[in-house]
Amino acid sequence: MTVTDKTRDKGAAKVNFAVQGVAFLVLPACLLVLALLIGPMILMFRISLNRFSPTQLMIEAFSFDNYARAAADPYYQEIILTTLGMALLCTALTLVIAFPAAYWVGRLESRWKSLVVIATLFPLLVGNVVRSAGWMALFSREGLINAVLLKVRVISEPLTLMYTPKAVVFGIIAVVLPYMILTIASVIESIPRDLEDAAANLGASGLQTFWRVILPLSAPGVAAGSILVFVLCMNTYATAVLLGGPRFKMMAPAIFDQFVRGNNWPMGAALAFMLLAVTMSFTIFGSIAFARRYRVR
Amino acid sequence: MISRRHFLSAGAGAATMLASRVPGAHAASGQVVVGTWGGDYGQLLSDLIDKPLLTPKGIEVLQDVANADPRKTKLLAERQSRRGSMDVACLSDSDHYIVAGTDAFEAVDGAKVSRLDKVFPELRTDTAIPHIYSAQVILYNENLVKAPPTSWAELWDPKWRGRIGLADILYPANTLAAALAGGGGVSNYDPAEKKLMELRSLDVKIYPSNEALAAGLKSEEVWFTIMWLARGFMWKKAGIPLSHVVPREGAVSIVFEASVPRNARNKDGGFAYLDAMLDPKAQAAFADKMGYVPTVSDAVLPEDLAKQVSLSEADRARLLKPDYKYQTERAQRTLDFWNKQFKG
Repeated sequence: MTVTDKTRDKGAAKVNFAVQGVAFLVLPACLLVLALLIGPMILMFRISLNRFSPTQLMIEAFSFDNYARAAADPYYQEIILTTLGMALLCTALTLVIAFPAAYWVGRLESRWKSLVVIATLFPLLVGNVVRSAGWMALFSREGLINAVLLKVRVISEPLTLMYTPKAVVFGIIAVVLPYMILTIASVIESIPRDLEDAAANLGASGLQTFWRVILPLSAPGVAAGSILVFVLCMNTYATAVLLGGPRFKMMAPAIFDQFVRGNNWPMGAALAFMLLAVTMSFTIFGSIAFARRYRVR
Repeated sequence: MISRRHFLSAGAGAATMLASRVPGAHAASGQVVVGTWGGDYGQLLSDLIDKPLLTPKGIEVLQDVANADPRKTKLLAERQSRRGSMDVACLSDSDHYIVAGTDAFEAVDGAKVSRLDKVFPELRTDTAIPHIYSAQVILYNENLVKAPPTSWAELWDPKWRGRIGLADILYPANTLAAALAGGGGVSNYDPAEKKLMELRSLDVKIYPSNEALAAGLKSEEVWFTIMWLARGFMWKKAGIPLSHVVPREGAVSIVFEASVPRNARNKDGGFAYLDAMLDPKAQAAFADKMGYVPTVSDAVLPEDLAKQVSLSEADRARLLKPDYKYQTERAQRTLDFWNKQFKG
């Protein structure tokens, strides 16, 4: 072992020691998660094994009947598929819409950049319910879109825009777009611009540069943004209820129905865990597949 | 120098201060948290009960505003806790029955609520006071419907295809109306399932809330709905051209009640609040503003108002009280059918 190696080892040991020395700093965050997430989840899981009674509401039991009934019920199968389909569609559309904006934000070199970032964040300052109420004013029979189309005589009868899956897709994308833009933009910022110039010098077209250089290098941002957006879409509640209407069902409103309208907490808890399982499976397998394709670490 | 009189006076003051911190030492004072609906109902409680009747008694009222479902869920979740978050819980009669079944409410009697003897006997329960009530009727657009249906069964006429709108949140009441249309009753919902599927084939429109339904009636997207007479009264006042029919099979009553949870922090204040809710002036004002009928015998309504919000003698004879036990035992099937078959 050379002197240089010994010095390097000593340095690494010091860093490790320093990291171990401040390891206790993660304790408050861990305790908070344990108390406010893991604890209630254990309680919910226990509730999901109980039995529902219309008069006593919940009877102590230890059975997976609720899971079996929900999994075998075509109604819930359809809701899970709808939720999954909506989440995948919205994630894909959000990615396509967000990437150009994220590229522009990431490459922006101006004193107005912070203002642009704040403007991107602005929709997040408005609550989901308020935002959906705005969409309702736009989409309803007497809403702005129908009023304009009727006025210019493009249509003779108001269009049905509210309470449709399309309205939910628009609504969800409007909610999740800032998350995707900012996540990807932060990664694009770290890609040296020289690489694009080098690709251009070597004769690559704009599309080739995007496909062979920018996209692979921004893959960590795309993966993180997509996971974040997918999870948010899977758990959509207010947008699905307010814009989808009573006939459109996703998992979060179905869980609410069982807990609050049906007072059936065991079934509601079982459905919540099924949603969690589906979301986690897709997130984990999606991340692994993406990492293999783009060698993301 | 402290005189003997000063000393005694200061001692009495200190004793009073100490006593005021002992729970129950002062009957009906302090802060009362009322779990209630917002909107007009919450505002009227504040204007007619909180400020004029309770503030002079030294009771400060805080409203915990939410819809009935979250409130019911909160009461059920808190029922094992030593201290609950509400001193008064306002619920509909059906929701009250479910929560009362878990022994979550204090008993109500004349010793705690002095005005209980003025309450109509048929509206009394052991654990709540009836605040206001109304009946479920057919509301229709009087400009567009010249010969309205006279029964629930006639509402199912194919000539009204696409013109009936229902509120999703009132699915139990809509199911009961369907049961009555099919020859069932408050203790027999079996015919409801067939009748609801018939209604579905008649292109019934379902709205997520009462407000969305009102917008549908106003825009003439739909001409009929199944609704409380009181809400029809409010919508008429808001300019929607509506009239109502009390169906031949009978109109189902709805009572909005208030109770004191067993784990309320200020039970005396809670019972004082229930007593104030039965005040005749406040009851008459609720009828005037919201169209709900008073539940006490000494609240007199002007003749014109009484005509609009009350049922005639003949209609009152056909007023049906829900079978709470049956309705509760069948609740899951009712919800599942509504979601999976009717809306599915």
